[in-house]
Amino acid sequence: MDVADRAVGHNLVKDDVADRCQKLFQDFLEEFTVDGEVKYLPDVQELIRPERNTLTVSYQHIEKNNQQLATTISEEYYRVYPSLCLAVRNFARDHCGVPTSKEFYLSVTDVPARHKVRELTTGKVGTLLRISGQVVRTHPVHPELVSGTFICLDCQSVIKDVEQQFKYTQPTICRNPVCSNRSRFMLDVNKSRFVDFQKVRIQETQAELPRGSIPRSVEIILRAEAVEMAQAGDKCDFTGTLIVVPDVSQLNTPGARAETSTRVKAGAGYDNEGVGGLKALGVRELSYRLAFLACSVEATNPQFGGRDLRGDDLTAETIKKQMTEQEWQKVYEMSRDKNLYQNLCTSLFPTIHGNDEVKRGVLLMLFGGVPKMTMEKTGLRGDINVCIVGDPSTAKSQFLKAVEQFSPRAVYTSGKASSAAGLTAAVVKDEESHEFVIEAGALMLADNGVCCIDEFDKMDPKDQVAIHEAMEQQTISITKAGVKATLNARTSILAAANPIGGRYDRTKSLKQNITLTAPIMSRFDLFFVLVDECNEVTDYAIARRIVDLHSHGEASVERTYSVEEMQRYLMFARQFKPKISKEAEEFMVDEYRRLRQRDCSGVSKSSWRITVRQLESMIRLSEAMARMYCQDEVQPKHVKEAFRLLNKSIIRVEQPDINLGTEDEEQQQLDGGGDEILSEDAMETDEAQKSADEPPSPPKKAIRLTFDEYKTLANLLVLQMRRKEAETDDGDGGMRKGELVTWYLHEIENELESEAEYFEKQTIVEKVIERLIHHDHILVELSKIGLKKRAGDSASSDPLQDKDPLLVVHPNYVIDA
Amino acid sequence: MPSVEDWLHNPLGIIQGIFDQHGDSDLPQKVGEYFQNRLEGKDALAWVPSLNDTPLHHLKPNSLVKFRCMVQDMFDPEFYLGVYEVTDTKLGAKSLRSGRYKDIAECLPHQEIDLDSPQNVTLDRQTLYCVPVPGENSWVKQGFTNSSQARVVPSTSYQPVRNKRGLEEEEDQTPQPNNNAPSTEGPNCSTEVSDTPEAENTEAKRTRTEDEAGALPSPIPDLNFPLPGETGPACLVKVYQSSDSLKLNDVVEFVGVLSIDPALATFNSGTGETGTSAYEDGGDMMDVEEQAAHSPPPSLVPRLHAILVQKLVHTNPGLPVDLTTPAAVSGVSALMSEVTQIRQQLCSLLTEALLGDSLAAEYLLLHLISSVYGRRDVVALGKFSLNISGCPRETSYPQLLYRLLQDLTTKSHFLPLTLANMNSLRITPKKDYTANRLLSGVLQLSERTLLVLDETQLEPGQLQTTGVMNVQALGTAVQWQKVDYDFDFHKTEFPCNLRMLLLSEGRSLIQTDCQVPLQPPSPPSQLENMFHRIQASLTGDYLAKVRSYLTVTELMEYTLPEGMQKVIEEDFVKMRSDDPKNMTAEDLHSLLVVARLLALSVGQTTLSQEVWDRAKQLETERKTRVKAQPQPQARS
Repeated sequence: MDVADRAVGHNLVKDDVADRCQKLFQDFLEEFTVDGEVKYLPDVQELIRPERNTLTVSYQHIEKNNQQLATTISEEYYRVYPSLCLAVRNFARDHCGVPTSKEFYLSVTDVPARHKVRELTTGKVGTLLRISGQVVRTHPVHPELVSGTFICLDCQSVIKDVEQQFKYTQPTICRNPVCSNRSRFMLDVNKSRFVDFQKVRIQETQAELPRGSIPRSVEIILRAEAVEMAQAGDKCDFTGTLIVVPDVSQLNTPGARAETSTRVKAGAGYDNEGVGGLKALGVRELSYRLAFLACSVEATNPQFGGRDLRGDDLTAETIKKQMTEQEWQKVYEMSRDKNLYQNLCTSLFPTIHGNDEVKRGVLLMLFGGVPKMTMEKTGLRGDINVCIVGDPSTAKSQFLKAVEQFSPRAVYTSGKASSAAGLTAAVVKDEESHEFVIEAGALMLADNGVCCIDEFDKMDPKDQVAIHEAMEQQTISITKAGVKATLNARTSILAAANPIGGRYDRTKSLKQNITLTAPIMSRFDLFFVLVDECNEVTDYAIARRIVDLHSHGEASVERTYSVEEMQRYLMFARQFKPKISKEAEEFMVDEYRRLRQRDCSGVSKSSWRITVRQLESMIRLSEAMARMYCQDEVQPKHVKEAFRLLNKSIIRVEQPDINLGTEDEEQQQLDGGGDEILSEDAMETDEAQKSADEPPSPPKKAIRLTFDEYKTLANLLVLQMRRKEAETDDGDGGMRKGELVTWYLHEIENELESEAEYFEKQTIVEKVIERLIHHDHILVELSKIGLKKRAGDSASSDPLQDKDPLLVVHPNYVIDA
Repeated sequence: MPSVEDWLHNPLGIIQGIFDQHGDSDLPQKVGEYFQNRLEGKDALAWVPSLNDTPLHHLKPNSLVKFRCMVQDMFDPEFYLGVYEVTDTKLGAKSLRSGRYKDIAECLPHQEIDLDSPQNVTLDRQTLYCVPVPGENSWVKQGFTNSSQARVVPSTSYQPVRNKRGLEEEEDQTPQPNNNAPSTEGPNCSTEVSDTPEAENTEAKRTRTEDEAGALPSPIPDLNFPLPGETGPACLVKVYQSSDSLKLNDVVEFVGVLSIDPALATFNSGTGETGTSAYEDGGDMMDVEEQAAHSPPPSLVPRLHAILVQKLVHTNPGLPVDLTTPAAVSGVSALMSEVTQIRQQLCSLLTEALLGDSLAAEYLLLHLISSVYGRRDVVALGKFSLNISGCPRETSYPQLLYRLLQDLTTKSHFLPLTLANMNSLRITPKKDYTANRLLSGVLQLSERTLLVLDETQLEPGQLQTTGVMNVQALGTAVQWQKVDYDFDFHKTEFPCNLRMLLLSEGRSLIQTDCQVPLQPPSPPSQLENMFHRIQASLTGDYLAKVRSYLTVTELMEYTLPEGMQKVIEEDFVKMRSDDPKNMTAEDLHSLLVVARLLALSVGQTTLSQEVWDRAKQLETERKTRVKAQPQPQARS
């Protein structure tokens, strides 16, 4: 290294500060102990290996050991660096016999303050800095001449250790006192020392970029072991110092134009002879080139958007360390917010009205579940995939755009316009080198982030298949043109799709409404259906919001938390890897069983089958819930919310007031497993006349039952009837309806508190039975058959039987309770 | 006190004077104040020659010039000697000189620059790459040229400095100034890319042909104009203060010191040839391409050291730059008193141009004054892209209509959506890491530029990857008013504020905020003659008023009164209960925009019941028309 030799070269000027630093630093290396062991001794011993030459030292350690030394290094870095390298060399020589000629370098890490590319100003020249940025260009590694050995062409004397500084420097004069050669020297390559040298360029990351500006860039000079550490596209931290590179053309004496130059300037057409003389007159350009001389390269940690949402090997503690006191305080406050769930939702989508369930789903998607590895080393994804299906103009795209904007690593793409190649990855032929290279598609670009795909349904089915793998295995394999590669695509997918025919047809099931294949559908954890509803209350709210927006403009964005706060919180919360507690586990098993039950019971003929995938979804969602609250354990309450969301999402159609005319639709929804809405008929209606296509009559009041409640109730009733059937072996079995109602009410008697409640329950149970008979066909009404069978005593009981029919469970019905 | 001549022709002398007096601290501010005072005098600014309309070889180096331009790229900050010391070789006396506002450290023949002096101060300045405002219509350029008082006499003292060859090249490379050659200006349209440009030897066109040929390394670097066929000088503007307030694509007028010393080119070619040591490929830290982009010969891309920076809200030469001064306000209110009449006339003019369709004319008028006035979250408020469908088949109607609009608007561009254009044009700007600059694209336009997309020229065929990306980019710009600049490793979104007018036969490929099917009462005939007639009727005072009217109305502030908000909400709920399909949230958005533009177009800054009713009526009329159109398939 050029500067490393300053002290040993022919520089007669002694730098006291540098010498002191060298001594202090050597002391530090000798003294600094962690757990009773000299911290850097093993590291230095490693350096004996021929390919090693750089010792990595933590700045924090120096600071802990000697505050003053740390300050000097920080402020006078460029000045003292050669001495520090010498200290390393001496230390290495003392402790392990390394060859004396070997050069050593120091790499400082853990410098606390980090700067953005934009903050590099003249004031920072020479001080120890850490900057972060995205590598945009790398140059090949070259050997750089550090110290040259020259042979005088006149007298053949050897001149050693000619220090090189940024440029090829020959000795000014031959050492041989009798030889006055000043220009004719030859470099002895074998006896000169070189170091690896690489130039890379970094650019401001997207997150740091002020709006409306072009990212700035800076050249980085890497030497020794720091070369080849950064690849184009990486986001890295560089520790080192800003230097002003002297203009080589200025330093060169006119006679010393090197023949090594191979380049001919493209703009050579501009002959400069006429003005070349100006330079000789002392006119010179005022500007300098700037470069950053880096001694260490590290991958950027997430605070500055490096690893973004997922920092695999980070703990909450390290993240905390990277935050300022204030930021940490805010995160802490947020984690204690009682209303966190709701607040985050509204802050995330301040311009979207309503659709709370979708917001929640998307929010949980951002938090994500915990990725796991099975014993067989199969990865289980933690990412949550969400699909929004809905009518046009229901803010689907807005959801996607908002997520794209919020999430630091998100890609927005439209299914209509992207081929599978564009979405996953493509092999393309490089125009210059004619080599095949893999070009990242949207999914890969969103690795560790979110991939928002609009118009998912418009995608070619072929292409949909292509993203199967990406969605479940989280990898993309391509085998094309002799290139075979498996690439990571650990991304959550947020898709938006339009229903067939542009509008969601409620008389049909979800599957019939969209053109997605079952395998793709099952890969989504959550499905949301947005229907353009007409409802005075919501309309008012929508109008209010839009008018507000137009009259107040930007001021009206109301967010409880700012985007930055949320991003920081998200980052922090994502470090948690919650484990499922015992209770949660039981609860989960229970809920899953219920879901399966519903699936097999025939109630949900039209929805897809509930499979293990849904169980996995539930786990992921529960984990995301726990993460959101920054908890290490998944508790039943988390599972509950996950289950609720899953339940809602499978098909969620916001239902306006109950209208008997649309009973068929309601039934469909029920099949799908959404909210159970039972229309309340007039009690007087003759039960026997009731049939599926009963004429509509205005409802008196609505009774709402969730599907769970409905299911529980139904199972209870069916069980009781089975029991009864088993008890009575005499063919006719079954129970009277009234009997059943009474039994049920008796069962729940002690839970009831008032008479009103009693009647309410009675109404409910009657309705449920009604539904079981007419819609689900689980119970069979035996009134007519019974009449025939028991003709004898039937005449008198006829009216009674109409009111109170005999019920049996459908023989083919299986309860999976 | 220096005379006018002095500050105009020797600004550096004045700056050195200020420096000697006050030192370097706050120098840009003091210099700015000084020149601000000088320029405040009546028409003083008009005496400053403009780079836009003066050929470069007519300007003296180191004189004060102005430049009206758009920021196309921002380079990395440049470090330079802010203060340097010179030693008199004869007397041995040392003195300090300011390095600001110049590229080259100078000293008298008997002096020497002391590079190692501890008194030297390194400072940084920001370099912006600026191009003439893209799409600026010829009447605007002409207007500015006419108002300029600066006498540009080719300076005789300047010539000897240059070497002969450079001068010759200069002569044929310098873009033709508009006042000399209005005929070369032509309409601002991108022609079919395969078309060979005519013989006119304008700079940009030459560059383009050479780019296409792509064979020999061209000595003339691509000046990187967003729109093909643009002319005018590009300029490297060095900014000393307030650089952060300048954003990409801002339209700015710089007043500063012109630096075209040919020595600059020498330094660069010098460095290019002398790479040595391990830095052989990087001793100068720049590659050939990068060098070409960052330090083009000053004869092509002059340097301008900005003293004063003013962002331009509009570029209408008929109006004062600042519309808030008392003088300007009174002028505007005089104009506003005639607003009804002007609007009426403009409307009938547009009606005629739109083949007698008054509804379409009304919408086109609103479109011409539309502008994004706010962004909330992802929504751009006020965007009003218009699709006029039903344009006559197989005619040059779009071009004719565009030519008319060109006469009315300050900035416009015509983009035929042909397959060839889509597949080959660069629509979105892209970062070129080799040259380390932002390659411009058609969508890199300044605010409130009218972009007319002619879809009637689209034919069925194969759209390649670039084509798909381009169509997508146009779609994003229309729908979200933003452009994703390609930075290779990521895309960065830049908001834009463009008026996108789509002319198509059927419904447009790109979904717009508003579609108006053209329903001419009579079949079109004699289009050429008709437009000729219309344009002939647009003259003098009347034309000037219409232009001012469009500029003033688009810049007016607008508020939605409380009372009307209530009315709107109730109307919305009512309309929804009548027909929910016909009135979605989106519809309300566009209705509010229509109402806003309608109010502005009649010179009102608040919404009145009357205008609101008219807006509703317009929208209903339009929707009825749209519904009557054959719909191939429901789209979303």
